[in-house]
Amino acid sequence: MKRISIDPITRLEGHGKIEIFLADDGGVENCYFQVPELRGFEKFVEGMPVEEVPRVVSRICGV
Amino acid sequence: MTFEPKIVGILCNWCSYTGADLAGTARIKYAPNVRMMRVMCSGRVDPTFVMKAFAEGADGVLVAGCHPGDCHYIDGNYKTMRRMALLKKMLAEYGIEPGRFRLEWVSASEGDRWAKVVNQITEDVRKLGPAKFETKKSKRRIPVPAA
Amino acid sequence: MAKINLASYWAAACGGCDVAILDIHEKILDLAAAANIVFWPIAVDFKYEDVEAMVDGHIDVTLFHGAVRNSENEHLAKLLRRKSKVLVAFGSCAHMGGIPGLANLFNRRQIFQRVYHSSPSTANPEGIEPQTRTAVPEGELTIPEFYDTVRPLDDLVEVDYYVPGCPPTPNQIWNVVQAIVSGQLPPKGSVVGASDKTQCDECHLKKNEKKITGFKRIATAQPEQETCYLEQGFLCLGPVTRGGCDTRCQLSGVACRGCYGPPPGVVDQGAKAISAIASVIEAKDEAEIERIIAQIPDPLRSFNRFGIPGSLLVRKIL
Repeated sequence: MKRISIDPITRLEGHGKIEIFLADDGGVENCYFQVPELRGFEKFVEGMPVEEVPRVVSRICGV
Repeated sequence: MTFEPKIVGILCNWCSYTGADLAGTARIKYAPNVRMMRVMCSGRVDPTFVMKAFAEGADGVLVAGCHPGDCHYIDGNYKTMRRMALLKKMLAEYGIEPGRFRLEWVSASEGDRWAKVVNQITEDVRKLGPAKFETKKSKRRIPVPAA
Repeated sequence: MAKINLASYWAAACGGCDVAILDIHEKILDLAAAANIVFWPIAVDFKYEDVEAMVDGHIDVTLFHGAVRNSENEHLAKLLRRKSKVLVAFGSCAHMGGIPGLANLFNRRQIFQRVYHSSPSTANPEGIEPQTRTAVPEGELTIPEFYDTVRPLDDLVEVDYYVPGCPPTPNQIWNVVQAIVSGQLPPKGSVVGASDKTQCDECHLKKNEKKITGFKRIATAQPEQETCYLEQGFLCLGPVTRGGCDTRCQLSGVACRGCYGPPPGVVDQGAKAISAIASVIEAKDEAEIERIIAQIPDPLRSFNRFGIPGSLLVRKIL
């Protein structure tokens, strides 16, 4: 089985990788999309004053 | 072997350092765990010093100054009070147990009191055990300005 | 003049630094004339294996943004260090940890618990969590290891220059690009693309005498727009933050939160913020001091919003 790794995926915001498994006849046996990033905003804004949160979560995505 | 805390002490010249000196000349026996640094006024104590002491391996830090109202520079120790109060909050948020950091007022005539303060913090830190800090893998570099 | 080889990489980042680079607008043409982009995930299709295949030192300058959060970020930090003549910690995250650095008040277990199990909008009845290795019928899939602690770039590798800001302003980015292309850079280890003075030096607000008798929050009070916010009791990190950003926040009616990092000579921005702000509180007895400082909610994340990983104590002990 041939394996093609696309790492990283590009020209978008964020990290991602794609693993493609090809059968012997060249057809796609299976394909996996993985997100190899996590920063944890959901957790680390806990306890912050509410008016500060927009200034922090705007950094989830700068695009 | 019992754990011997390493405690950094930052003492003001006019009151607390002189008080510590008095404890010495009066031959008072007390715990040897506080490594003492002298500054002219406790108002000189930048919270950075305290954090750096912890970051470099101190198990405890003791800042000592003149009693409020008695500061040799009139109001230096009021700044100390305010800075250390805010620092305590921040240290707690870093997960540092309150017993590791103390602010004490010790006058030049209080050799006895100095010994008690040192013994107290030593025991408090001994009970807490060695401090566990994440260290930076590389020392922070402050660039040398071009000549 | 030969084109330089330029790379730009994002670790635990948000894309804002990339967009800031693009915000130099038509000057991007000048940049393209001066540089070959050899790796820039947001914009061009080079892969990690292309970087691995480069000769060491092939890249003249890498702008590395984002904090080091996981093993892939660490790997790229080390890889790009080898492949680059000059490595720049670009933006607050690479400079001192940035917003992702706030995660240093928690650990991996706590973050995973919230993200994958307890957050209200998550439906994960089987309790699945990402694993570094996952077996699938066709083979094994891997993702990076998520570390407990976020680190700034210079904790992993030697950094040549720091460009602060969240993000650095396009004006400053253009200044930095020009300095790089013309070879006129200060000594290694310097902060570039920023002023050597604090925000207060550039700020348009009227400054009088600071005697703070209480702290206010913009959730419940409105700052007057012509006077120093800190004087009015609204927490502002201007006095302990490097200038050079044109005081965008202050001009927009909000106080500075310190993204340009500490001024020259200051090692820990949060510690210095305590020092500076406590100095101007007007109180002389313990009870009054406690009353006033109790009005600052969330001290650590207020005094050191962008630089916890780069601070002396790095993270909360858990």
